[in-house]
Amino acid sequence: MRALLRRLGVYLLAAWVALTVSFLLPRVVPGNPVAGAVARASQSGNCNSQCVEAIEAQLGFNVHTSLWDQYVQYWGNLGHGNLGQSWSENASVSSLIISYLPWTLGLLLIATAVSFIAGTAVGVLMAWRRGSWLDWVLPVATFFSALPYFFLALVLVLILGKTGTMLKVFPSLFGYDIYGVTPGLNGPYIASIIGHAILPAVTVVLASTAGFILAMRNNMITTMDEDFVLVAQAKGLPAKWVIWYAARNALLPVVANFTVAISLVVAGQILVEIVFNYPGIGFHLYDALGKLDYSLVQGIFVVITLVVLAANLLADVVYVLIDPRARQMA
Amino acid sequence: MTINSTSLTVIPPVAGPTPELVLRRTRILRLPRSPKVIAGLVILVLFGLLAIIGRWIAPYSPNATDQQHWVQHVLVPGTGAATGFPASYYPLPLPPSAAHWLGTTVFAQDVWSQLLAATQATVVVGLLAAAIATVLSVLFGVTAGYLGGGADEGLSLIANVFLAIPGLPLLIVLADYVPSAGSSVVLVASIIAVTTWAYTSRTLRAQTLSLRNRDFVEASRVMGEGRLRIILVEVLPNLVPIVAASFLFTALSAIGAYVAIAFLGLAGSPTSSPPGLWNWGEMLREGFANNAVRGGWWWWWAPPGLCIALLGTGLALLNFGIDEFINPRLRTAGLSRKTARKAGIGTRPKLGMTPVAHHPPVAVASVRTVAEASRLRDTAEPVLEIRGLSVDYGYDEEAVHAVVDCDLVLRRGQVLGLAGESGSGKTTLALAAIRLLRAPALISAGQVLFHSKPISGDGPAGTIDMLSATDDQLRAIRWSEIAVVLQSSLNALNPVITIGAQFDDLLRVHRPALAESARWARSGALLDMVGMNADRLRSYPHELSGGMRQRAMIAMAIALEPQVMILDEPTTALDVVTQREILQELIGLRDRIGFATLFITHDLSLLVELADEIAVMYAGRLMERAPATSLFHAPRLPYTYALLHCFPPMHGPRVPMEGLKGSPPDMRDLPPGCAFHPRCQWALPRCRQEVPRLAPLNGSPREVACWLHREGTTVPPELAQPEPASMRPRRPETVGQAGGT
Repeated sequence: MRALLRRLGVYLLAAWVALTVSFLLPRVVPGNPVAGAVARASQSGNCNSQCVEAIEAQLGFNVHTSLWDQYVQYWGNLGHGNLGQSWSENASVSSLIISYLPWTLGLLLIATAVSFIAGTAVGVLMAWRRGSWLDWVLPVATFFSALPYFFLALVLVLILGKTGTMLKVFPSLFGYDIYGVTPGLNGPYIASIIGHAILPAVTVVLASTAGFILAMRNNMITTMDEDFVLVAQAKGLPAKWVIWYAARNALLPVVANFTVAISLVVAGQILVEIVFNYPGIGFHLYDALGKLDYSLVQGIFVVITLVVLAANLLADVVYVLIDPRARQMA
Repeated sequence: MTINSTSLTVIPPVAGPTPELVLRRTRILRLPRSPKVIAGLVILVLFGLLAIIGRWIAPYSPNATDQQHWVQHVLVPGTGAATGFPASYYPLPLPPSAAHWLGTTVFAQDVWSQLLAATQATVVVGLLAAAIATVLSVLFGVTAGYLGGGADEGLSLIANVFLAIPGLPLLIVLADYVPSAGSSVVLVASIIAVTTWAYTSRTLRAQTLSLRNRDFVEASRVMGEGRLRIILVEVLPNLVPIVAASFLFTALSAIGAYVAIAFLGLAGSPTSSPPGLWNWGEMLREGFANNAVRGGWWWWWAPPGLCIALLGTGLALLNFGIDEFINPRLRTAGLSRKTARKAGIGTRPKLGMTPVAHHPPVAVASVRTVAEASRLRDTAEPVLEIRGLSVDYGYDEEAVHAVVDCDLVLRRGQVLGLAGESGSGKTTLALAAIRLLRAPALISAGQVLFHSKPISGDGPAGTIDMLSATDDQLRAIRWSEIAVVLQSSLNALNPVITIGAQFDDLLRVHRPALAESARWARSGALLDMVGMNADRLRSYPHELSGGMRQRAMIAMAIALEPQVMILDEPTTALDVVTQREILQELIGLRDRIGFATLFITHDLSLLVELADEIAVMYAGRLMERAPATSLFHAPRLPYTYALLHCFPPMHGPRVPMEGLKGSPPDMRDLPPGCAFHPRCQWALPRCRQEVPRLAPLNGSPREVACWLHREGTTVPPELAQPEPASMRPRRPETVGQAGGT
């Protein structure tokens, strides 16, 4: 339990740092961000007086209390789940985020699960069948791992998306058919959601699988050189068992480094949502950035951070479950 | 941008058994010359060049617009003469043409010129951010790893916190509050660096941690060198490959991050004030924002995207090269068709089955001598016969001949000792016999016959040609008839499953008739036989001591009552007392089960107590073979003589000890003639030219490969001691007790 508590401590600290950064940034950034923000906003002509006030409030102007008092108040608000008010949507940030979150989490969960499983399996196969045609996966995967998610999204829209110009197979705008179906527990709505999730999910899967493939292949090759794999072969175990033994061990570092993977997938998905106008947290972050809705931007930043930290904690728990050595120390 | 291979891969610690690393030597990064590395370098150089000269070779200014000539104007539907509305036009980008290689944007700008201008900022920001991040991670990682203690705790905590906070969202928030960031390469690179340094810092810390306890660093510390000096002179040079890999990885992430924030419109627009920089992300943003995808204007947004992917691929390929340098195991890829055909094997070696070259088998039996034949008659029957076995590592010209033309006969119930320095090919020879060697090993010649008479179970009986046996045949023989105990029992047991499960799997495979409870009971009984509590079945390997793990391994090895036991330095990693106990255990088990033993060790004095016969290997060849006592008391080979005089004898008269001069030969570059001649005090001119073959020594049951013992030479008195009286080695007295417990 101790190791897990330590990790929990790190995540709590990370959460504190993220929240504090989000509090301090608008208040300590040099210059007058309000003027800058308003100027930028006026250029594009979409910042009304309400917007200016909101920016000022958010940036801590017209607030005649000390920084410390503001900080205490900030935490008090957070404690009540109050992330401030979004002027552009005219709703509380937390309620907005709660409405965005299912879209993002659903997509993230499915896409990550698929790419993790597929990537790991292909990586194992590649290490097992070295010298076969599977070796060609290596350069292809390398190329895919270097593709920016949003560029891949654009390419898929072009080729497969209904808003593209080529095959026009899958819907490529919004989370569901906003004109054709009524949200609720009905068949057409659910079918529409699934249809609209295909291209974003395929994008995230294609872009993130490559990383898992490469990582698993390398770990697998390293593991297969271990003595215990040699012993498994000397024991006359069937090849599949031997591979399973190696894969089970090769998986450990992949799970241990899930932190990096999940951060990258989340970052990628934010941009993918933008391309598809997918109504998740990433698209609304982009939207809020454009509208200079600072409360919403910061609220989303805080929530993404918390989601990623939770995923990390989960990965740590899984690691402890699959590695008896960690279990002993934990 | 996604996970780079290094990010999820464990880099094996620098500390390790690889001998070259143990030396106090700076590891200079030498990239393997593979197509991958070359392709990566070419891509990087290309983009580097474009980044430098792009400005000058660009045909137009990236911002220049020429509405007159560069744009098609399309009438907006519903306007124009017939509609009553004034005609209004919207511009349409031009597809690629001779004037505009990559067409134009909707703002009538030349895409090729934009792409060239954008290359500079993108590459510079990527490299600068990577440089800053690498400096940060070296500072944090190396300091934390080297200092340890509280400093390590603190610095690692900072790195872990940064690692846990997702990079891009933090970057977005930071960039959002620094609106001028887009116009300054340094500013934007610094912001990116802050969000990307943590991962590599953690890697560097781990590596430093493993380096700081190494001998050469310890030595510098003892010599009183300052911390900074040790870090700079001893630690850092050894981290070069990892720092380089980190740099490339960070450059890849930094370019991805820069492009991402530019795509979000946070890196400033090149046309606003202050102007942001043209970069690939900005081009993609403009294309996306202006419906270039819907319009089908692929030439606008596809080139920058492909450039990112290509540059990223270049960085990743180069990183592969470094990965392969750090971890050479990744390098031995499959065989090319040509190499495989030349070597006479399939292109895809099967896992766990050493390939055998399909050359005609070397004729063997006929060359065997009269002495051999007579010995065959009056000693026990052979169980494992190795004839003229040769093993290569690698193929073609690069092949290292690890074992050359070796003959060994293991007889039923006997102990055959195989001795020699490390690297002499002992293990290779033994594992080749059961075809357990891994790629790139290749059995290039010889024959291995296994005369099977199963002690228990329904294993295969009769003579089996191991080198032409099928996978299934081999699997049936392995462990059930020929078991192996390796030196390091820590690594020999699967760390993530219990000891019980590791007994269970082999019983399930070889004794399918046994029920689960019966398998468990049998496993417990086996542990009991080696003096362990049956409860230990529930333990994981890391919960046992080294001695217990080795006992468990031995219990596993006898589980199926094999006819042959290959013991590869089974006690070397253990302390002296445990060594003794385990040897006694083994002898007791052998007496009870009656397996033949191939005992591999570098410790001749250990063998003389155990072995019936001893064979000595040097540089891949068998050099002397004799009954154990004869070899021990009257060695004929200079190498054996030297080996024997490395270890002080327990009893008998005092003899001056001499170490073995020189170092073991480099198998890739063996001296001509007898491989031992450079270290031999009696070397003759002939020894430098001709390789001596193993030949019987005037009628005695021993053989030696040494020119000193051929006619016409005077044998030095040290190598001509009289044969000892007793030809049978005596076993330790305790054997009987060990068997009885």
